[in-house]
Amino acid sequence: MGPKRRLITDTFKVVKRAKKEEKQDKEPAAPEKEKDLLELQQFDLDWRYGPCTGISRLQRWERAELYGLKPPQTVRDLLRRSGEETDYTHCLWHDYPL
Amino acid sequence: MIINKIQIKPLNLVYIPITERLNTTMFSDFTTQKEGTLMGQPSADCPVFDRVQPTYSGYSERFKLGDRSFNRQYAHIYAVRLMQMRDILTARAKQTWGEKVPVRRLCDLQMGEQCCIVGTIFKHMELQPSILKEISEEHNLLPQPPRSKFISASDELILEDELQRIKLEGNIDTPKFVTGSVIAVFGAEKNDGKFTVDGFCVAELPPQAPRQPLSSDRFVLLASGLGLGGSGADSLLGLQLLVDLVTGQLGDLGEQSGASRISRVLLAGNLLSHSTQDKDSFNKAKYLTKKTQAGSVEAIRMLDELLVQLVASVPVDVMPGQYDPTNYTLPQQPLHRCMFPLSTVYPTLKLASNPYQADVDGVRFLGTAGQNVGDIVKYSSMDDHLEILEGTLRLRHMAPTAPDTLGCYPFYQKDPFILEDCPHVYFSGNAPTFQSKRITGPDGQEVLLVAVPDFSRTQTACLVNLRTLECEPIRFSSFTAEDDEDNEMNISH
Repeated sequence: MGPKRRLITDTFKVVKRAKKEEKQDKEPAAPEKEKDLLELQQFDLDWRYGPCTGISRLQRWERAELYGLKPPQTVRDLLRRSGEETDYTHCLWHDYPL
Repeated sequence: MIINKIQIKPLNLVYIPITERLNTTMFSDFTTQKEGTLMGQPSADCPVFDRVQPTYSGYSERFKLGDRSFNRQYAHIYAVRLMQMRDILTARAKQTWGEKVPVRRLCDLQMGEQCCIVGTIFKHMELQPSILKEISEEHNLLPQPPRSKFISASDELILEDELQRIKLEGNIDTPKFVTGSVIAVFGAEKNDGKFTVDGFCVAELPPQAPRQPLSSDRFVLLASGLGLGGSGADSLLGLQLLVDLVTGQLGDLGEQSGASRISRVLLAGNLLSHSTQDKDSFNKAKYLTKKTQAGSVEAIRMLDELLVQLVASVPVDVMPGQYDPTNYTLPQQPLHRCMFPLSTVYPTLKLASNPYQADVDGVRFLGTAGQNVGDIVKYSSMDDHLEILEGTLRLRHMAPTAPDTLGCYPFYQKDPFILEDCPHVYFSGNAPTFQSKRITGPDGQEVLLVAVPDFSRTQTACLVNLRTLECEPIRFSSFTAEDDEDNEMNISH
């Protein structure tokens, strides 16, 4: 037997490299983020504060405050704390077109 | 040539007093001709009449658009409108049906229980034009006759709150209501799931700031629908007479001293004629219309020349209207300064928004160019502009049909058309005839309602006395007002 002949049709094993773990470090721990988002989604789904599409969560919160509907303070604190990420700033259906 | 005509026919001015009342001070009382000043020898001393200077502050900020974001839906306006009106109407309902009346939301409604609901009216109209209907029936589309009204006997009223809707029946006059009005109804839900109305109430007039008494008579001149660029050249004579009257170039000393009491001129929309909006550029091939100039260009130039005569002598507020070159949706933003190269250098020219709100000598003016009223004419059984004007004041909403059938910017935080405080003069422009009326609100609010007539059709403007809050039409009748009317009718469809 000569040297092993390799054909162009041979398949090779897909080698996955382990992803860098940096991203995970920056964000709050996954379960905490999930908890925050859940609270924000509950705020989106509360009909008393009016429609949530097309405006940011903060705008909706401020409107509810303006008309004395007493939106939860924790939502505002959360929105202030979290950055510019649309997961936080915009409502549940933000990704869907109008 | 126009100036010749004025001197030949100075009696073209006709003052029509509304009612014969004692102790009233109309504009016509100031313009009685003095004997011998017109036909006599020129005298050496020329009297000078100083124009009265009113205090003025505009409050149109709430009709200014900041960011123009159109990726919102109109649901926000209706939600905000209900949020803003709910407390007012709940209080009004308790006043009407007693403190103990249960105010329910539709989701808490119990069958057969007498209660009160606050909600937004939606009128289901078979004849209301709908783009979806037109598309779906495109293949066998019957051409619909042009209608002036879209109401029919099969119309139904539906009341909506934040979550649900319910059909209304009983003691409620369906054709008079329009979509978007927030009201409170009293009654009970019946077995068939409809709500039987025993009575309803509206928000009534908002609170009014007191007016400082004025020591002298001053007037504000209201005119609308100048219709420049239209086919009727006769209206130009009337217009020139109007300008000359206001600037004091007409009549004798008596009339001139009367003119000096006009402290402000307010042009309430439709400065340009409908015919300046030719649709040629949309329908025809581009190479055919490439070299034609838009009709509005010449008309705006004429307007500038008229305005420069006025603003040199008196402060003028210019509101845009339906046919004017600004945005179509309410609130219409002020016309751009660059369109008036001659008159814009005067600080007396004020380009205002539509709706318009301002305090002149402590008298709060609020009004529109008439789109809101014209739209309610189409979608309700009411025809009388004054009646509609009063209705919107009692609803506390200037344009209930926006955004349903009237173009409107998608607001989300505030509905600017809700009246927060009561004006002293509430007007709408481009009415078929002049009408005015004083009404008194439940808390003693005094409001003068004015339907400002279309000038190009009626040759009529009106003067509001700021001291007594009375209104008087002033007509510049020229020879062929009837012929004009025919032309206008053709243009409008």
